[in-house]
Amino acid sequence: MTTSTTTTPVPLDLTALADNVGVTRPDRLSEGAFNIWGNTFPAEELPPAGTVEVHGIPFRWPATGDGSPDNVRCRGQLVTVPEGRYDWIHVLAAAERRTEDPLLLHFADGSVDPEWLRVSDFWPETASRFGERPAFSCTRLHYPRHIQHAMGPTVWRQRVPVTREERLRAFRLPDNPAMHLFAITLAPAVRPEATQ
Amino acid sequence: MKAALVSDALGWRHDLAGCLHGCMATLLHHRGVAPLETLGAAWGFWHLPGDIRREEYYYPCDSGVSLLGALAPYHPVRSTWHHPADAAEGWAQVRAEVAAGRLVAVAVDNFELPFRPAYQDVHSNHMVIVQGFDEERGTVRVLDAVPPRFHGDITLEQLTAARDSGNPAVHDRDMFFTDVRIGNRWLSVELDAAPEDFPAFDRAHIRSVIERNVEGFRKGTPGPRLTGAEGLTAFLAWAGERLAAGEAVRDELFVVTGAALACTAVHADWLALAARTLAEPGLADAARGVERIAHHFSAIRIMSALTSSGELGPDRLARRSHALRSDLEQVLDVLAYEGAAL
Repeated sequence: MTTSTTTTPVPLDLTALADNVGVTRPDRLSEGAFNIWGNTFPAEELPPAGTVEVHGIPFRWPATGDGSPDNVRCRGQLVTVPEGRYDWIHVLAAAERRTEDPLLLHFADGSVDPEWLRVSDFWPETASRFGERPAFSCTRLHYPRHIQHAMGPTVWRQRVPVTREERLRAFRLPDNPAMHLFAITLAPAVRPEATQ
Repeated sequence: MKAALVSDALGWRHDLAGCLHGCMATLLHHRGVAPLETLGAAWGFWHLPGDIRREEYYYPCDSGVSLLGALAPYHPVRSTWHHPADAAEGWAQVRAEVAAGRLVAVAVDNFELPFRPAYQDVHSNHMVIVQGFDEERGTVRVLDAVPPRFHGDITLEQLTAARDSGNPAVHDRDMFFTDVRIGNRWLSVELDAAPEDFPAFDRAHIRSVIERNVEGFRKGTPGPRLTGAEGLTAFLAWAGERLAAGEAVRDELFVVTGAALACTAVHADWLALAARTLAEPGLADAARGVERIAHHFSAIRIMSALTSSGELGPDRLARRSHALRSDLEQVLDVLAYEGAAL
């Protein structure tokens, strides 16, 4: 078991959990299907693999465009994390129509708390419904056989609170295939006395 | 008259509804009727087994009830489908309506419309508004509020091809809304009262609507016509049983829950509007509860598509169905309380 006592954000590696290809290159349009119609985000308008900072938060952005899974389609997977105290679970996510469900947060003392994860629609010309901010706004949408310009999908940055002041060791994703996660970063807890 | 352009064509879109609500909103607004107050009032679940039409603008309609009548049963509105004999008659009828200053909705195949992403790619039975025409230029003015939003001119030949399409299912992405002729159909709306005589959006009306919706859910029927909470339970159980038996449920589950999603989401906005209008925070609570039901339908709709590939089995569908029913009962309690308190 790894533990974290860091005071800096902890980006998670989702490679082993990734099960959906949501991003394609223009010359390999048909190799993904973010939604049921086979639409995908354009790789050339998204960051390269590695650390990317969004609104001041570092995320581990996946490798995209080679036909390998680049996001986690939620179906109840358990995500283990470096055990530690956190205040927020930040996500880069998008949904096929907006939706919401609780994450189940598992703590070291055995307690489990549901906390809401809400993700707006990735579809172009669709505003955030849950107050999350766009992480990446594209200018075109990939279809299996063509590129639709001036129709850009969005990856959102959303966050989930960790309200229990206890060490988090894992969380279970909802069983909701409309919801896709590209990256997750844990924000360490700020000691209450530090804010007083 | 060589050209005509009907004024005041409102582009209306709801992110969880589709072309049906968008077009009906445009037509109602043009007639002086408030769209959300009218289209968002009725909330329920209705399903007529076997009555699935392969249309993006599908909505369950009892025999003798029009599409708009089913959407807005608490208001004196109706719609009429017109079925011309051929493309020439189809355009002549639409042209006459527009020349007379009336907007119309027309059924189209996205495959033939150059402003749709599906152009020359995917067939789908869609609906758009025709606002005008210019015979010297050979164009028609079209409004489509579904992204990518389009409000501009295409050629009459393009519109005619879309309206006269056979809408065939050619490949595996021609799902749900293909394989039925478009048939040059067009749709008009009729008001059975002047707009000023429609129900006022006031405390009494809002209370009455909430009472009727809650009663409709609680006095539901589990068959053969499936309505209300019992009907929804029966429908989802039926889908699970068929899925367990290895039978196909994708199309029916997708289309039925798509209609339920749109109805629920638009009603959530109706309740939020009611909360603001009456300054009643309890109604805002209820609106958010109804929105949660819509978000369940978002999940089930995508789950339905995964059934055909074997990615989703009956156990996962059952868990989601039970969660939806549990939340539905809670929000009905909230609505009953808040409605009675008005």
